[in-house]
Amino acid sequence: MSTLPVLIGRDLCKDYPMNEAAVHALRGVSLEVGAGEYVAIAGPSGSGKSTLLQLIGGIDSPSSGTVEILGTRLNELSDRDLTRLRLTRLGFVFQRFHLLPVLSARENVELPMAEAGVRGKERRNRALELLAYVGLEHRAAHRATQLSGGEMQRVAIARALANRPALLLADEPTGELDAATGDEILTLFRRLNRDGTTLVVVTHDERLAAQAGRIVHMLDGRIQKAEEPSQAAVSPPRRPAAPL
Amino acid sequence: MSGLGLSMKSLRRHRLRTVLAIIGIAISAAMLLDMVMLSGGIEKTFAELLMAKGYQIRLSPKGTLPFDTEATLSAAARTVETLRGDQTIEAAGAVLGTSLYGQAEDSLVTLFGYGIQPEAQGLYWLQQGSDLSPGDTTGVLLSAAAASLLESIIGDTVTLVSRLDPQVVAGAVSREMVVRGLVRWVYDYRGQPSVGTVLPVMQAIAYGGREDRASLILVKARDDHAAAGVAARLRQEFPRLEVYSVADLVLFFKQRLVYFRQLSYILGSISLIVSVLLIATLLTITVNERLGEIATLRAIGIGRSTIVRQILIEGAVLTGIGAALGMVLGLGTARYLDSILTSFPGLPAAFSFFVPRRESLATAGLVLLLSGSLAGLYPAWLAARAPIAATLRSEAT
Repeated sequence: MSTLPVLIGRDLCKDYPMNEAAVHALRGVSLEVGAGEYVAIAGPSGSGKSTLLQLIGGIDSPSSGTVEILGTRLNELSDRDLTRLRLTRLGFVFQRFHLLPVLSARENVELPMAEAGVRGKERRNRALELLAYVGLEHRAAHRATQLSGGEMQRVAIARALANRPALLLADEPTGELDAATGDEILTLFRRLNRDGTTLVVVTHDERLAAQAGRIVHMLDGRIQKAEEPSQAAVSPPRRPAAPL
Repeated sequence: MSGLGLSMKSLRRHRLRTVLAIIGIAISAAMLLDMVMLSGGIEKTFAELLMAKGYQIRLSPKGTLPFDTEATLSAAARTVETLRGDQTIEAAGAVLGTSLYGQAEDSLVTLFGYGIQPEAQGLYWLQQGSDLSPGDTTGVLLSAAAASLLESIIGDTVTLVSRLDPQVVAGAVSREMVVRGLVRWVYDYRGQPSVGTVLPVMQAIAYGGREDRASLILVKARDDHAAAGVAARLRQEFPRLEVYSVADLVLFFKQRLVYFRQLSYILGSISLIVSVLLIATLLTITVNERLGEIATLRAIGIGRSTIVRQILIEGAVLTGIGAALGMVLGLGTARYLDSILTSFPGLPAAFSFFVPRRESLATAGLVLLLSGSLAGLYPAWLAARAPIAATLRSEAT
């Protein structure tokens, strides 16, 4: 199946200085993700999968190699433009949710929209729509600290979707959750992808990886193998359903 | 959610810490305000006191400041007449200050006596009864403290006795005077028992009526703005006298109390530094605790400027609340300290060390707010430069 390239990573290397030697976290990784794809990056701890996610998300820079998001080379952007690209083109979901504890669920979802300049009423309505999408409209006024782990992760997903990103990046999204709650997130990701969201998920969770259209296995900073998408797991890109 | 709203919520996260910091800032702000009031207050209140009755110029014996020594000038009446003949001068009046005694039952009490020229007096406000007329040689004006000491009311007769020479006690001059009114003397210290008579009577009590002497001459120029020029001209005309304008006296006063100003600057600076350190410390701790949160915000596309603005607003909010409380606290402590300092003997009761003025409040507030915002710069810089990936990695482990 041919898809539009949302992400192209070419020959990505990342070295971390460690005393006088260097740790090679990534050793020439190349990855292309088309629109509507659902890619899982799997591998043991220290295999470089989170580093790869940080490079393709523009929150760290590669030692060598290039990353393109929708045709824009990240290494050619200023810090301000890169921040703007992360705000408007990418969505991030972290293992530890990282919601602002002093804000309500709705206010957390509104944050990226406020930064993007979306007006108050429109912002509020969209935040409520997104919370409804992740099944938390009844928790909109609750503070992040009043939510369970699964609820916090769903708010974090709603926050990541706030500015209609071209690519949603998730780093161990079920890592802090029990199996039952993790299942809710699996279901939500599947639905997100079915509704047109392009996903790249770093995970240890085999069940989460198994539902992806493509699984990229990493070991020692290299891609060990990439499994072709099974027909059952991949969804053709389609017009996004509201509110995506 | 506005930046201010988010700041308020962030500060409420650690309520006790925030409250303690605000108390610290309030105390520093109060101290700063008091020092600002002290540094400018003394000279302003002194100038106001000198101008209380509108006399801008003082003539005193050569080499002395008005009422600074017991020195007197001679030919007082003649000098006053010359001054009153000057077209630029609206009023002139001689004053003699001397210590004397009053008869209270069978004992003598110590009083301070003013010899004045009622037609041109710049020393008192009449509070009860009637004023003296220029020819009233039997009338006396009393301060409330003197009336109490002499147990006299308006209409009573009191006996004033000249200062006693221990060698010739019997030779002291004694005068029976009728109390015409109760007055508040401008330059009296708190509780000072002062009496006032027309100048010739006080000269008679002080010198046995043989000398036309006065401690100083008060001069009111017709035009306030021309007072300095008139003073300069009088300096030429009366080379054997010292001629001071209010500005000259304020300058002398400032020179004498320069240590007060220095002390206030030092203490004010210390309180400002304490405020800045408090705010910077609190915000730095807060930023360090929230590095993971800040890195996440940066990762999801929140700009450095937004993060910096947020930290600076938190600093400004802390400073604003602390400063507002500090203003109230500062005014309260200033009033209390003023009551202690002005009760020192020899200081005019109308004198004030801490003068709350709009400009001193505004200066203290502005300096604090600027410093509070500056105090947020370092933690804001820390927040802005936090490496996103490394911080998220360390948060994950």
